[in-house]
Amino acid sequence: MSAAVTPRAVANKSDRRTLVKAIRLALGLESAAVRHNTQTFNRNRYRAVAALPDYDALKDEARGIKERAIANLPALLEQLRDSITAPGGHFFLARDAAQARDYIRDVLLRHHARLVVKGKSMTSEEVRLNRELERAGIEVAETDLAEFILQVADEQPSHVIAPAIHYSRERITALFKRTFETGLPLDTGEDLTRFARERLREKFLAADAGITGANLIAAADGSLMLVESEGNIRMTCLCPPLHIAIAGVEKVVPSRAEFGPFVELLAASGTGQPLSSYTSFLRPPIEAPPFAFRGQTKHPREFHLVLVDNGRFSMRDDPVLREALYCIRCSACLNSCANFQTVGGHAFGGETYSGGIGGSWEAGTGTLENARFNELCTGCSRCVPQCPVRIDIPWLNDNLRDRLNQRERSLLSEVIAGLVPPPDHRARLPKLFFANYHVFAALGTRLAPLSNWIGRLPLSRLLMEKTVGLDRRRELPAFPSRPLTRLAASVRRVSDPRAKVALLADVYSNYGDARKPLAVIRVLQAAGVDVTVTACLPEGRAALSQGMIATARAHAAKTAALLKDYLAEGRDIVVIEPSALAMLRRDYRHLLDNAELVALLRERSFEPLQYVWKLLSEAQADPRELFQVERFAPGPRLFYHSHCQQKTIGAAPATEALLRAVGFEVATSSVECCGMAGSFGYKKDYYELSMAVGEDLFQQVALAEQDGARTLVASGVSCIDQLRAGTRRPVLHPAEVLAGTLA
Amino acid sequence: MSAPPAVSSLVEEFERAAIATVATVERIPRSPEALNQALVRATAGCERIIFAEPEGLPAGLLAVFRADPRLIANPTDDQLSSAQAGVTEAFAAIARTGSICVRLRGMTAAASLLAPLHVALLRAENIVARPRDLFAAGAVGLAQDFVFITGPSATADMGPLVRGVHGPHRLHVIILE
Repeated sequence: MSAAVTPRAVANKSDRRTLVKAIRLALGLESAAVRHNTQTFNRNRYRAVAALPDYDALKDEARGIKERAIANLPALLEQLRDSITAPGGHFFLARDAAQARDYIRDVLLRHHARLVVKGKSMTSEEVRLNRELERAGIEVAETDLAEFILQVADEQPSHVIAPAIHYSRERITALFKRTFETGLPLDTGEDLTRFARERLREKFLAADAGITGANLIAAADGSLMLVESEGNIRMTCLCPPLHIAIAGVEKVVPSRAEFGPFVELLAASGTGQPLSSYTSFLRPPIEAPPFAFRGQTKHPREFHLVLVDNGRFSMRDDPVLREALYCIRCSACLNSCANFQTVGGHAFGGETYSGGIGGSWEAGTGTLENARFNELCTGCSRCVPQCPVRIDIPWLNDNLRDRLNQRERSLLSEVIAGLVPPPDHRARLPKLFFANYHVFAALGTRLAPLSNWIGRLPLSRLLMEKTVGLDRRRELPAFPSRPLTRLAASVRRVSDPRAKVALLADVYSNYGDARKPLAVIRVLQAAGVDVTVTACLPEGRAALSQGMIATARAHAAKTAALLKDYLAEGRDIVVIEPSALAMLRRDYRHLLDNAELVALLRERSFEPLQYVWKLLSEAQADPRELFQVERFAPGPRLFYHSHCQQKTIGAAPATEALLRAVGFEVATSSVECCGMAGSFGYKKDYYELSMAVGEDLFQQVALAEQDGARTLVASGVSCIDQLRAGTRRPVLHPAEVLAGTLA
Repeated sequence: MSAPPAVSSLVEEFERAAIATVATVERIPRSPEALNQALVRATAGCERIIFAEPEGLPAGLLAVFRADPRLIANPTDDQLSSAQAGVTEAFAAIARTGSICVRLRGMTAAASLLAPLHVALLRAENIVARPRDLFAAGAVGLAQDFVFITGPSATADMGPLVRGVHGPHRLHVIILE
């Protein structure tokens, strides 16, 4: 029997096979607890931020504070040094992890410290502090209960604010029973908490020193802001006479006045509470007199602030990684991520940091290869509206991938040099395939139905799996006998139109099931819209998702040039595939230099039903005059799953509103993403994960159908494929449903 | 500009929010007898109580309670860490979140943290609408060490949500109207 894989053994995922191993480990052992806990955080966050009356303004304010603080960082650090040393504190700027470890170890050894209590600090994890102190003979007691569990289990954190989020109560009980000899019961959350509390209370009272992190630091007076719910950080700061705080340099802001928006955003975005139990504002050494419990000698209070660079100043000079320095470590991007919800940070994470933002942190404080786990970011973008400092996390991951692609060396890259914009030719074959799907789709459509027949042969599937990593278990979409652009020749003109649009022949609609785009055209025409179909061009999504940014730029430039002419003749742009639409609305700002055109495309591109809803609303027309629900043969009960990127760009509510206004009874999914996420779920390495993510959606279908069957409806091509795979039933696009209500 | 919310509506909002955090809240008239009765009720069953003398309340208001024999005068550090209740002042509170703000100096840091029960005395007029209002320039006490306390200490690290971890298991707020 082979030894069981431990989380530590797969913490470093610079090798792709380790990533696959880690996914398997997490899906087997950790998924249920991670799913339950992250989804609870996620629901609570939606509730908490909805209660903030000026949530968007707070985010802008927080973002502005961080941008300015990082810009002025050197000056702020000088000011902070004076603020700490003036009242007798000690300030140390550690250039790297080793300097931070050595400094703290030496301070503790100078004080003859034998026992240190610690509050949760990701920065101390990053610099591997515990190992160093233990080597020096100092006992380290982690006092955050999650860190306590991890210390017992010898595992790395799997979540930035709830490091043991992957542990169920049952697993903690088993772990403690294995580890501790105690007469105390350990069978409920209360039991376990009491056991840990009593054990740790002894440590607090006996500790020679306390080590904490800091959520924010004020340069003007050296104040720390510390957020927690258990009281262990307060104990760590209060009980022992020596306090050492360790934090990354990016935590510094000008003054306590700048703490304001973060106080309101941090807990709401993280645990989803209005505030955590304790938010402390301390200017150490603290005012409270020092203690000496149980006959110890009383020592005056002493404070050391250890600020860690460890790559952060290089991140500051990097236009992409600089964004990560704005991160306040709230975990909203982890909790809102469907993949993270399913496997947690031991798969979707590195040695210290995890989740969507984690790749940038691992790359910035470690090596680029450590960020390979960012492959689990599907670019679904659900984290983007949740980030309190407005970091475009998928864009950071696109860039990490781009940089990783460029480190690949293969014979293939020499062969195809010239076919793909440099330096994208260095990408591995599967990435080249998925990024250039339009080439294969065009060929497949030309050769259909022969290509569909060949595509279904077991041998072809085996070959495709071996060469480009396309999982054999996935049913491939059939190529149509004629692409949309050919069918479009027969699209009739609408006379005296209410509006005119250009329907982008996106790759997936053009080379996919023709019923969908034809239904879109019928629905638009019924609403009085004159439709013309554009040429088929890849808009750049496929390339961007593989981290082939040069290719994505080239695709974006061509598409923008094509659409510009339609805009000039007064046509709005309608895009069927939400991921393609999101390129126009969200991603082109990163890819195109022409800011005016980017803004124009953002404002004048629409999802089909969103466009119809907009027109009807503007005209104050009753949709029921156009669309008669009684005509839809399968009946008025629908289950609708909107696409992740469609949600992020705000194009989902209109579809639901229109369907309801027409008279449909619509049950909706509440999952962030279906799990297919473009090409992600087709890949062999990620098939199991993709299906596990989809499980939530499939269960919601079952739940919504307890009182009777519903027609399944989804807007994204990959959502449709995923729902079909999970339910073995037909799935319609909303436009097909509406087309079914027309005379 | 809209007028600042009336004290009474802030008190009500605070009370609702604090109860949602599983704190208990009591509103009493501002008299030594009423305050003493409230404190005796809140600390029922406690034999050793740490009392951190408030700075922002008239000394006379606590004249009766100060004579309570359960209070430990000049506690040693070991007595601080083994008391059953701590009584402190809250210099401010936040209506939206149900949080109280406690200045951490002298004995208040220990009295608000080490015992299983924390009882806080709050003047109704010191409740503000939201956290950021306290950060407005000139707010009292903000240059010093203080803490926003929102309900009892809690954890979800051991599986289900458990209240009462390293900090107090119960938080009782007495609002002086």
